[in-house]
Amino acid sequence: MNANILEVQNLGKSYPGVEALREVSLTIQRNTVHCIVGENGAGKSTFIKILTCAEERSSGKIYYQGAEFRPRTIKEAMNLGISTLFQELNVVNQLTVEENLLLGREETVWGVIRRPDRANKVFQVLKDFAPDIQLNRRVGDLSYAEKQVIEIVKAVAVDASLIIMDEPTAALTEAEAQRLFEVIRTLKQQDITVIYISHILDDIFAVGDYVTVFRDGSVIGTRQIAQIDRPTLIKMMIGKTVSERYVPRQVDYSVKVLEVANLRTPKLTDVSFDLHKGEIIGFYGLRGAGKSEIAQALYGLDTILAGTIKISGRPVRFGIPKHSLRSGIAMVPEERLSEGLILKMPLRPNISISNLKKITRCAVVNSGKERAIAERYVKALNIKASGIEQQASTLSGGNQQKVVISKCLNADSTILLMDEPTRGIDIGAKEEIHKIIRALAGEGNSVIIFSSEYPEILNLCDRILLVADGRIIKEAANQELSAEELLRLITQVKRKKHEIG
Amino acid sequence: MKSGSGFFQKLVIVGVLILIGIVLSLLSREFLTITNLINVTRQVAFVIITGSAVTLLMISGNFDLSIGSTLGLSGMFFAYFIPLGLPLGVSLVVSTLIGTVIGLLNGLLVVKLRIPSIIATLGTMYAARGLALVITGGNSLHLGLGPDFTVLGRGFVGPFPISLLITAGILLVFYFAETRTTLGRYAFAIGGNRRTALLSGIDVSAMILLLYVFVGTLAGFSGVLMASRLGVGQPMVGQGFEFDVIVAVILGGTSLEGGEGSVFGMLIGAFIVGFIANGLNLLGIHSFYQSILKGAILVGAVLLDRVLKERIRG
Repeated sequence: MNANILEVQNLGKSYPGVEALREVSLTIQRNTVHCIVGENGAGKSTFIKILTCAEERSSGKIYYQGAEFRPRTIKEAMNLGISTLFQELNVVNQLTVEENLLLGREETVWGVIRRPDRANKVFQVLKDFAPDIQLNRRVGDLSYAEKQVIEIVKAVAVDASLIIMDEPTAALTEAEAQRLFEVIRTLKQQDITVIYISHILDDIFAVGDYVTVFRDGSVIGTRQIAQIDRPTLIKMMIGKTVSERYVPRQVDYSVKVLEVANLRTPKLTDVSFDLHKGEIIGFYGLRGAGKSEIAQALYGLDTILAGTIKISGRPVRFGIPKHSLRSGIAMVPEERLSEGLILKMPLRPNISISNLKKITRCAVVNSGKERAIAERYVKALNIKASGIEQQASTLSGGNQQKVVISKCLNADSTILLMDEPTRGIDIGAKEEIHKIIRALAGEGNSVIIFSSEYPEILNLCDRILLVADGRIIKEAANQELSAEELLRLITQVKRKKHEIG
Repeated sequence: MKSGSGFFQKLVIVGVLILIGIVLSLLSREFLTITNLINVTRQVAFVIITGSAVTLLMISGNFDLSIGSTLGLSGMFFAYFIPLGLPLGVSLVVSTLIGTVIGLLNGLLVVKLRIPSIIATLGTMYAARGLALVITGGNSLHLGLGPDFTVLGRGFVGPFPISLLITAGILLVFYFAETRTTLGRYAFAIGGNRRTALLSGIDVSAMILLLYVFVGTLAGFSGVLMASRLGVGQPMVGQGFEFDVIVAVILGGTSLEGGEGSVFGMLIGAFIVGFIANGLNLLGIHSFYQSILKGAILVGAVLLDRVLKERIRG
């Protein structure tokens, strides 16, 4: 038998305008737990999508169990023994544990489901892994951790040889995570290989055998866990060459444009901070830490349970984003495709939509002025398009993001919230957008960046606030924080203490 | 929007209309006469009036099944108020406003109580029809209406039927609203991506509510016009009207998910439906067959549009 279950050679994947994976080569040994780490946008998810056949590769070869791996559908990949445990679990809440375990493989007579055979392997596996989960319980009543086990049991029962786990502990308590690690160790003994993707370095040192670091779409290296320490791993994740660097800026700290005090929402606890005129501050945290929730609360998208928001000293309350815009706050939302753009529309109306009032008299839109505005932003932000009538859906990611930014600038706001402003766009466009952000702040606007990419935070922000579990856990000036320090703080955050229903 | 596919869609639909016109004028000599064409237009006037607002509503991704019942209820009230001593003009306005109230109710159900628009308007569809039946006891109202009752529906200004002038006016207003005003722009934005529209500072709830109010008002006014044309207030008038309007709107290229469509397309769609009904009448084909053909044309036109679009995109 081949000692390597998976061999990847020179794998490449490019999207229009972006190279997501470049010459990725790695080898995964049979019956090991192989961890994959890297920042957001490093190419981990793309890699997984290609393995599970959710995306097609652009180039390269994959050998699985010694043979070339070329499945055409997700189903075919699964039949070859690759199972994936996504963060969004693939269980049917309305059905019982038993029904879920047998889903799609029920024994039937003329379409009528027969009483399941208790000797079925799936029940044996469930007994091995989680004897305390009863078969007749509704899966909707189980905890997240228990649902995960159900999925793992299903994978083991169909003789999976490779199980991919994407951030499996993100929603688990410490105790539940420890139990999951037990399950993973058992998997190894049953001739199953695990690819384990996580941001949490503690997990990787607890459960991994090997670790591969991804950065900017390339593999930086693979190490044995036993022979690497945490600082070395963090150094590999960060890299040395940084083309952009933070340059200290002049900020007028006497003028507070935004004051947030003891803000509480269903997902945030006691969030307090100030924003000054011309300042760029950054909220950094892992996905799900509560960054986006802060942006949403400031933009009238969440119920505010307690606390105050003051703009230029005046207390404000927002019911809907319209009110926030009126007070001078604009937002570049996290998801540009589903929240930032109207894809069926051309650039022109996408740019003008947030401030039609400016060019409207008696409800009639002045199309000449509208065209002029669109033309101006296409030029100012260097949007590469055939013209202002090009449909938004046909632009590259970076240019789409510039359209969203244009829309916010056109709203004539002085406070700009930017949630993941450069996610999923290529390095060139990234630097261009960073330049735009610095220019905006230079003109006296104030910007808040919400990002899970620490280089972005370190390159841009005058002040950095770390977010975890819906709270601000640290606030520091840029010069006081190094990349190592930032990553150390955020990757050793304790997991949620409370049980998840 | 003014994208390539929208223009192409209009070309296809106009082509279909002309084709039907040619076939019918070859089959029947009476078809291509001024009298007959005016006759068709008067028949589709109700669809065009209500459809003008319904197009914008459907562009925003919402739906209204209650317009047929609203038409019936408002028409019934128009004939109901006059024998009670209400002047004609007042009765006209009040009856139309009853449509407005139903539109407001639909809007509130959808926006405030978050009931899916199909369910909410299905509910008001039944309730409004029931109300008309309760008030009339199921009977037609034709007593004490006076000679002026039919002026709106049957009268002329010079050579032009009053109802057609009104229809043309409303059509133009909504065509303008669709292409040039914030109302139209916001309807496209909401239907294109509701979340983006909200985040771009559009008061989505208020806009949808407003669109429902417009639809209700115009359905109510269509009812008044219908009663005036028939010379009678009938509680059961307008059954199936909602589908005539929806068919016209969809034939006109409005997407069911919203974000695409046009008032102009709806106009052509209404005439396609009108031509077919009229042509089959002229040819002496039983109206039962019309229903089959209407269904086939609806599915066929949408299919044709999709096939051609896919071919163009490669």
